[in-house]
Amino acid sequence: MLSFIIRRLLQSLAVLFIMSFLIYALMGLMPGDPIDLMIQADPDLTPEDQARLRALYGLDQPLTTRYWNWLTAALQGDFGFSRLFAQPVGEILWPRMWNTVLLLGLSLILSLMIALPAGIIAATRPQSTLDNVINLSAFAGISIPPFWLAILLIILFSVTLGWLPAGGMGMGEDTGLWEQARFLILPVLALTLSRVGGTIRFVRASMMEALRQDYIRTARAKGLSRRRVLVAHALRNALIPVVTILALDMGMLVSGALITETIFGWLGMGKTIYDAIMGNDYNLALMGLMFATALTLLANLLADLTYAWLDPRIKYG
Amino acid sequence: MTEVRSYDLAAGATFATEESGSPARLLWRRFRKHRLAMGSLILLIVMALAVFAAPLVEAWSGLDANRVDLMARFAAPSLEHPLGADELGRDLLLRLLYGGRVSLTVGLAAALIAAVIGTIIGLAAGYFGGTLDALLMRLTDGVIALPLLPLLIVLAAIDLTQLGIPAEIAQSQEASLYRIVVLVALVGWTPVARLVRGATLSMKEREFIRAAQALGASNLRIMAVHILPNVASPIIVATTLAVGNIILLESVLSFLGLGIQPPVPSWGNMLTNAQELMYSAPMLAVWPGLLIFVTVMAFNFLGDGLQDALDPRAGQGQGY
Amino acid sequence: MRQRLAALTTALFMAAGTLAAEEPPAAQAGGAGTLTIGITQFPSTFHPAIDSMLAKSYMHGLTRRPITAYDPDWELTCLVCQELPTLENGMAEKIELEDGDEGIAVTYKLHPEATWGDGEPVTAEDVKFTWEVGKHPDTGVAAAEAYRRILDIEVHDDHSFTAQIDRITFDYSAFGLPILPAHLEREIFEDDPAQYRNRTLFDRDPANSGLHFGPYRMVDVTTGARATFEPNPTWYGEPPAFDRIVLRVVENTAALEANLLSGAIDMVAGELGMTVDQAVALERRYGERFDFVYRPGLIYEHIDFNLDNPILQDRKVRHALAYASNRDVISEALFDGRQPAAHSNISPLDAVHNDDIPRYPYDPEKAESLLEDAGWNDLRNGIRYDGEGNPLRLTFQTTAGDRTRELMQQALQSQWRDVGFDVRIRNEPPRVFFGQTMAQRNFPGMALYAWLSAPESVPRSTLHSDQIPSEENSWTGQNYPGYANPRMDDLLDGIETELDEERRQELWDEMQRLYAEDLPVLPLLWRAQAHILPKWLTGLQPTGNQFPSTFWVEEWDRAPSG
Repeated sequence: MLSFIIRRLLQSLAVLFIMSFLIYALMGLMPGDPIDLMIQADPDLTPEDQARLRALYGLDQPLTTRYWNWLTAALQGDFGFSRLFAQPVGEILWPRMWNTVLLLGLSLILSLMIALPAGIIAATRPQSTLDNVINLSAFAGISIPPFWLAILLIILFSVTLGWLPAGGMGMGEDTGLWEQARFLILPVLALTLSRVGGTIRFVRASMMEALRQDYIRTARAKGLSRRRVLVAHALRNALIPVVTILALDMGMLVSGALITETIFGWLGMGKTIYDAIMGNDYNLALMGLMFATALTLLANLLADLTYAWLDPRIKYG
Repeated sequence: MTEVRSYDLAAGATFATEESGSPARLLWRRFRKHRLAMGSLILLIVMALAVFAAPLVEAWSGLDANRVDLMARFAAPSLEHPLGADELGRDLLLRLLYGGRVSLTVGLAAALIAAVIGTIIGLAAGYFGGTLDALLMRLTDGVIALPLLPLLIVLAAIDLTQLGIPAEIAQSQEASLYRIVVLVALVGWTPVARLVRGATLSMKEREFIRAAQALGASNLRIMAVHILPNVASPIIVATTLAVGNIILLESVLSFLGLGIQPPVPSWGNMLTNAQELMYSAPMLAVWPGLLIFVTVMAFNFLGDGLQDALDPRAGQGQGY
Repeated sequence: MRQRLAALTTALFMAAGTLAAEEPPAAQAGGAGTLTIGITQFPSTFHPAIDSMLAKSYMHGLTRRPITAYDPDWELTCLVCQELPTLENGMAEKIELEDGDEGIAVTYKLHPEATWGDGEPVTAEDVKFTWEVGKHPDTGVAAAEAYRRILDIEVHDDHSFTAQIDRITFDYSAFGLPILPAHLEREIFEDDPAQYRNRTLFDRDPANSGLHFGPYRMVDVTTGARATFEPNPTWYGEPPAFDRIVLRVVENTAALEANLLSGAIDMVAGELGMTVDQAVALERRYGERFDFVYRPGLIYEHIDFNLDNPILQDRKVRHALAYASNRDVISEALFDGRQPAAHSNISPLDAVHNDDIPRYPYDPEKAESLLEDAGWNDLRNGIRYDGEGNPLRLTFQTTAGDRTRELMQQALQSQWRDVGFDVRIRNEPPRVFFGQTMAQRNFPGMALYAWLSAPESVPRSTLHSDQIPSEENSWTGQNYPGYANPRMDDLLDGIETELDEERRQELWDEMQRLYAEDLPVLPLLWRAQAHILPKWLTGLQPTGNQFPSTFWVEEWDRAPSG
């Protein structure tokens, strides 16, 4: 088992390394450099200025050289400055990472709190009215375009009812916990509503699959209680695909909460990465994407380990 | 060999003993019982017929879906414009029909291509294991982690004519449509691959696979005949969900300005364009929003029904 | 009407302000509470010299002042100086340069009470320091031309200095450099100029009170989200009325609207806010709740013709495109007439604007006869072909995701289709569009985008033949159409150096006439700022030029009843 983990970690590091080059190359392939974007904002920029700035930012050097410079500096812990925010990359990313973790974490917990019971109930009573209601709601959540949902939530809760702020992140230390938390409610709700349906569907599907297995019938025949069979045996197996999906989601969410973050003005990783890519901020985009990549890889590893733990039939050698 | 049958041997064997008739007919019989799925199927067929008949409707009505009439902006529903006109005075009904054509095409094409790629990779990885598995799964991890946005931007900048694509296509107004299909298919196969691999992994340890191997069946045959049918239901669930997701993704890309480009309409870009007019012309946002919503729902129910039909014992729970 | 009202209220307020100034103890800052402003962009740096960005100018309007600026009436005025230097008042003098050319020496006297927030006076040394930073090649100041043109700055005393400029231009009275606090920044700069842009206090410690000398100082900032300002006790001018100004960034305009309606923000800045069509739609529903002030500005939406395209090389075809486009209807229908149709590249609000130029009113028949003349007379299925069977087909591009442009684009496509053009739309994300397609002149037909201008700014970089980007000059210059006309080159050179106002105006007039005749670019409209203000806000006067309304923030107040 330990050797498996070590091997996987090493593989992940290799992937991370390859990814860093790929991302750098991709950004290099993208048309236009930061200076081209500056010209648009400032027609006074003369050709000499452009050449001087390119040299200053190292943009006149070939891509591989630039990548090598970045890599050697990054390995020594120097991630450079963000061009968009004129601050060290770490100072931009750290607080945003926590904002994202807060948003995603709360949304994940809320999703599981809804999806696990709903999925299990639906799976144990297929085709019942309750199942149909759960299914319908799950599908409804999945089927609304996320930006649309976010705007509708704002119109309902902020504009019409005036209960919650329409976006932003609170004023700073001088306000209470509740005041701060109020800013979280709508984004968490929007994110959860558009994602929980998928989780419910997967819990339900895999739970039904598990309930059909022979050993479940055997366990029931042996006289184990319905509840015990459900939780100890069926759920354990049903969780395998659920864990996969959630693990895959985690990584994608880091960059994928972009819509929620944009509309609610939540300073998270998704928006930061998007802005960095659009604004040609190499240092920031790279570190942000590397973080998302690392998280995805880690989540995958955890998913595989959970597999092994949940399903003894899968062996790792 | 009697052992084999008691496990989940290819579903076909069970079909044959359970009821009479071909597997397809059986499937259909089970599927029909799922009323929501049936309803969705009918709805989707009607919708597909309607949107693909858009040019006929256009010719019949004598209107032009791209013809701007600034005098008719936000026109109320009338005989000439059954659903009214949009912010450029174009007939909303026609725009919705053409938009549906684009959205459905993108969703179906990308999801199918992705499913095929994902299934092949997942099967190979799960079945052969070892180095191939490690390689393919790391590839999958890599693709999952691949940032969609720079890819899209790079793809938007590539000169398609240099790739040997005829100028007629590359410079057509529909070019953004092909780009999106290709891109989504290229990055969208990973969930299917992971699911198929997971299912294959637990499947290949089963006795009936071992038995088939012992009998000398080729790997390709085992994968196609014994494993594929048994992993089909997760593929179907994932793919139907994917069609919906891609229709949604297209709307999100439109929101970011990277989706289908005007004047080609899609439900996604129609909805995006309407978001700023939500207070003044809400119906412009309601119609495409509703159609996306209903279509994505219908695909989900369809997948649901198919899953129940494919899995002989799925519907036999306590319910009813 | 609204504009006149706004001007009137401002005048009244200013009158009240001068009355108050006569009783010195009454001049107390604050009392009007908090004003929360919604904007759509956050500046990438707070340093006044590095990079130029509208969001930054908007914020700096609160915390600092340029030495000179164009006011809401587009007149050059002194903000930190006491008098504009002119040849007439003797504060500007022609000088002879070492190479024999003529230059000019301009003398400025700074406001004696101008003081940094930490109590240090704003001095001529600060100006000199700014110049040293700007001309240093490693500091990363983007547009260094203004710094390079200054040969020397001579400091006379704490508050006066003379700058020697290497050429005489008509706008010699304007001083474009910001003022940096030498007492805080000199050490950081001299320590390592190449690292200065990363270490400057403007970004490392933006709330440092010593960085500001305007009516407000920044007290708190969350990068990318908000900035909070409070009155600066050392401010030497009229005391501002609001106790606190909060700038909130909401990038999505639909969300911005929701924030406004829910009361989370009080107003939307016209400089960085909603599109005009969105504001017009909002006004129809909420015209009672807010004041809507539209101010046409200096953002010039136009279509570049690629003059290497054989179809577009023909001036008749370009004229036909102009006659076939109904720009007045577009302006009227889409923007309620708030964004006036443009007829040349010089705004009618600009002093040098010439009205006497060829115009192209909507006239589809004329367009068709021009096309017949040009040989496009084979009409099949509504599309024109020439004698050899080539279709009259043009590609039309703009920045994807810009709703206003996409609306205009589709309307034009449809109008041109009516006279036989087969126009294909192919849009690209902004960074592809500007970074590659335009920068390398890769657009095959027409491209719709905007130029940002300034009052009396000479359009050299977009019209001079030496500004055509090419492989040889490594893609520099912004003459994307590839327009080359020797007479135009002469005119542009002449305008820059001609000091005699009357003769310069003649050159301006001819330049605009030639532009409209040759039509290398199809003018569309002047984009307007849509200021959405609470009914109780008084004194805000939109400028429409590159100096945002915040440069006069001390005139803003809350109406007594509200």
